[in-house]
Amino acid sequence: MNKKEQHLTEQELIEFQFKLAPDDRVQEITQHLESCNQCREQLEKLKRKFASLDLLHEEVRASDDLISQVVQQARKPVKAKIFSMTKSAWLSAAAVVLIGALLLISLPDTDIQKKETQEIDTVKELKSDTIERGFAEETTKEPATLSGSRDISEKSYAFAPPAKDESPQPVLGFASESDAIEKPSGFKEDIIEQPPFAPASSIELVTLPRRENVQLTIYNSADLTLVREKRNLVLKRGWNWLQFMWANTLIDPTSLSLEPLEQKGQIDIQALVFPARLRQIGRWLIRSEFSGQVPFEITYLTSGLSWRAFYMGTLSEDEKSMQMKGYVRVSNNSGEDYENAQTRLIVGQVHMLDEIASLARRQYPYGSPIPIIKKNESNVLFFDKEEDRLGKVLTLGDEPIVGWALKAPARKEIIKEGLSEYFLYSIEGTETIENQWSKRLLSFEADDIEVESLYKYDESRYGNQTIKFVKFANDEDHNLGETPIPDGNVKIYGVADQQGYLSYVGGTDIKYIPVNEEVELNLGQARLVEVKPTLMNFKTDNYIFDSNDNITGWDEIRSWKIEVINTREIPVTIEITRDFGTNFWTMQSETPYERHDVTRIRFNLNIEPRVKREIEYTVTTYHGRRQDQYNQ
Amino acid sequence: MKKTDKSLIDAHIKGDQNAFGEIVHRYGDSVLGYLIRMTGNREQAEDLFQETFKKVHEKSHTFKGSEFKSWLFRIATNLTYDGFRKRRQVESHYKQINYTNENNKELVASIADNSNNPSTVATKIEQIKQVRQAIDSLPDKQRATLILAYYQQLSYREVAAALDCSIGTVKTQMFRAIKTLAQKLPEVEL
Repeated sequence: MNKKEQHLTEQELIEFQFKLAPDDRVQEITQHLESCNQCREQLEKLKRKFASLDLLHEEVRASDDLISQVVQQARKPVKAKIFSMTKSAWLSAAAVVLIGALLLISLPDTDIQKKETQEIDTVKELKSDTIERGFAEETTKEPATLSGSRDISEKSYAFAPPAKDESPQPVLGFASESDAIEKPSGFKEDIIEQPPFAPASSIELVTLPRRENVQLTIYNSADLTLVREKRNLVLKRGWNWLQFMWANTLIDPTSLSLEPLEQKGQIDIQALVFPARLRQIGRWLIRSEFSGQVPFEITYLTSGLSWRAFYMGTLSEDEKSMQMKGYVRVSNNSGEDYENAQTRLIVGQVHMLDEIASLARRQYPYGSPIPIIKKNESNVLFFDKEEDRLGKVLTLGDEPIVGWALKAPARKEIIKEGLSEYFLYSIEGTETIENQWSKRLLSFEADDIEVESLYKYDESRYGNQTIKFVKFANDEDHNLGETPIPDGNVKIYGVADQQGYLSYVGGTDIKYIPVNEEVELNLGQARLVEVKPTLMNFKTDNYIFDSNDNITGWDEIRSWKIEVINTREIPVTIEITRDFGTNFWTMQSETPYERHDVTRIRFNLNIEPRVKREIEYTVTTYHGRRQDQYNQ
Repeated sequence: MKKTDKSLIDAHIKGDQNAFGEIVHRYGDSVLGYLIRMTGNREQAEDLFQETFKKVHEKSHTFKGSEFKSWLFRIATNLTYDGFRKRRQVESHYKQINYTNENNKELVASIADNSNNPSTVATKIEQIKQVRQAIDSLPDKQRATLILAYYQQLSYREVAAALDCSIGTVKTQMFRAIKTLAQKLPEVEL
């Protein structure tokens, strides 16, 4: 079949319809269409498909107002080009500047000072001259002011603005109100009193240098972090705009604050403006008498940063001492990377009016307050217990020889200090905490913490099972006690065999442990130490009857045998608590016991390794009118 | 006799205050139509319109006398792209173009004038919305090519000059745009 007889493809039809095919091919297709009904139908179908495009073929008319505005705009004179240079001319000019700079450096200081004095005089003359002529009404750029020339001499004749070479930072933008109108060197004008309504144009916004440093103070009682960052801004003399954007972050715009760290007398932060219709943007209006680089501190609150404490303990073989390591994990979901941040962690309760994350997402920074966040009722802070139980920390268990293999060459210290109602942990040095990342840091490490390994049997609290505890105190005697221990999850490991391999003994959540307080870690059910109480005898006695022969009082006498089995290789201490459920009881036992409270007694037994021991006791409880006799 | 674009620009540079007005009148509707179709938003298009002619005014001395129309549309296109970039930086969802009748006021009014049947009006408005969405879903370059070639009736050569690329590239972009639209455009009666 020759090409003429072949049907046209969809591509060919599109190319024909939209004049994409070369002329000779168009001719061929036209001829084919004249003789091929099927292809003509296909073409019609294609035309129908694209007919909807013509719905947007409406005629658009530029209004007379719009046209006249544009024409009016064009009546302003075009900024004249001062001169144009070719590439080679630029290179020559650069070379001349370089040579000039070198010559300047080689000049003795006295010459420079002399020159400066001369310049000052010239400027003074110029200034008074200009004011007389009424030039000072305009706000203009100050290309090389007196202070600017001093800066240059102090900075080894660095002619380029210091911020220019640094990489841009997306969050902040800086705008100068001035127009780029050239004025003689040293020219200094009055700043117009009326502040500008807005930056002349967003095109004038330029990027700022990176943060010089940043400090994070992370509170964990609420979703709250205080950020203090230092940035070097280059100000022009006059009105300046500094733009701050918090899109895609959780920064609370109502908390924004800006302070100059130098030249405070010459810089006035006049207002923070949240422009209408622009979402998540704030602009500071700054009036500056000073021209040049100024360090500023910007502070704000953000949410999305959090920290949690967790601990790992390894019991010695005899379970009389423990090595313990405390860690903190700092997580960043704030939407912002914090590089080389000084990080401080706060334990303490913060009074919150609004939820920061909600403030950050508001369309307009100010408005009706969001409902008050639910405060943690206890004095101890750390919410989020469930999170750890659900396994975030458990993933750490996958690491080899948990805890002990984590040896960093230069480990950061976490310095702790009390701070009024709070407790502050400062991480030594700086840390980079990137968005969506978490970082674990060692908080403390203590060896040879004397611990008491203890088993407890108490049916009223734990049911019919023996529970293992590790008991120690947060004090100097236990090589601890420097600081309170924040809430967190603790995991205890034991030495499993002679090679020193570890086995998981148990884990639990701990509450805030103040200094000098004792703590008992509940490690769960013990399987190698058993307690089996058996009721051996039960009888009633000493009935009292009333005048109608009804029983009004009686005694119940129970005899118990408790079997205690220690299948472990080490001696254990067991605390067995028996609750009689009444205040009126007497007890006979050959095994010593202590009265724990009004209804309970407690046996404290030391059981040798691989030993089964039995204790027996008889308890008589008094009921009805027998209780009166018991009291006598 | 109608003055050429080049002679108007020369006159403008020499200070003829009417010359620039004539240029704006000559190309204003076409440029505004292009910008509205590119942005989907009249307000934004009018801002870009002003910026485009401001740039023409400022850069008129650099016009070398080739195709003024292509040069003009190249300025408009570059400013539109810049606008897209800035808006993308400011808000990630800049493409949330409001397809309410507000943006199509004139068009809706003309449909309503030409049809007494409310259901026909509603159907047409819905179809227009679909066409707009289909065009807005195209990559910037394909969208610019389609609008310049199909709606603004520029030849492929002029489009190539406006977009600063070869005619082959223009044709490829156009073909890709058409292929994409074929999947998305609604069926209408001829």
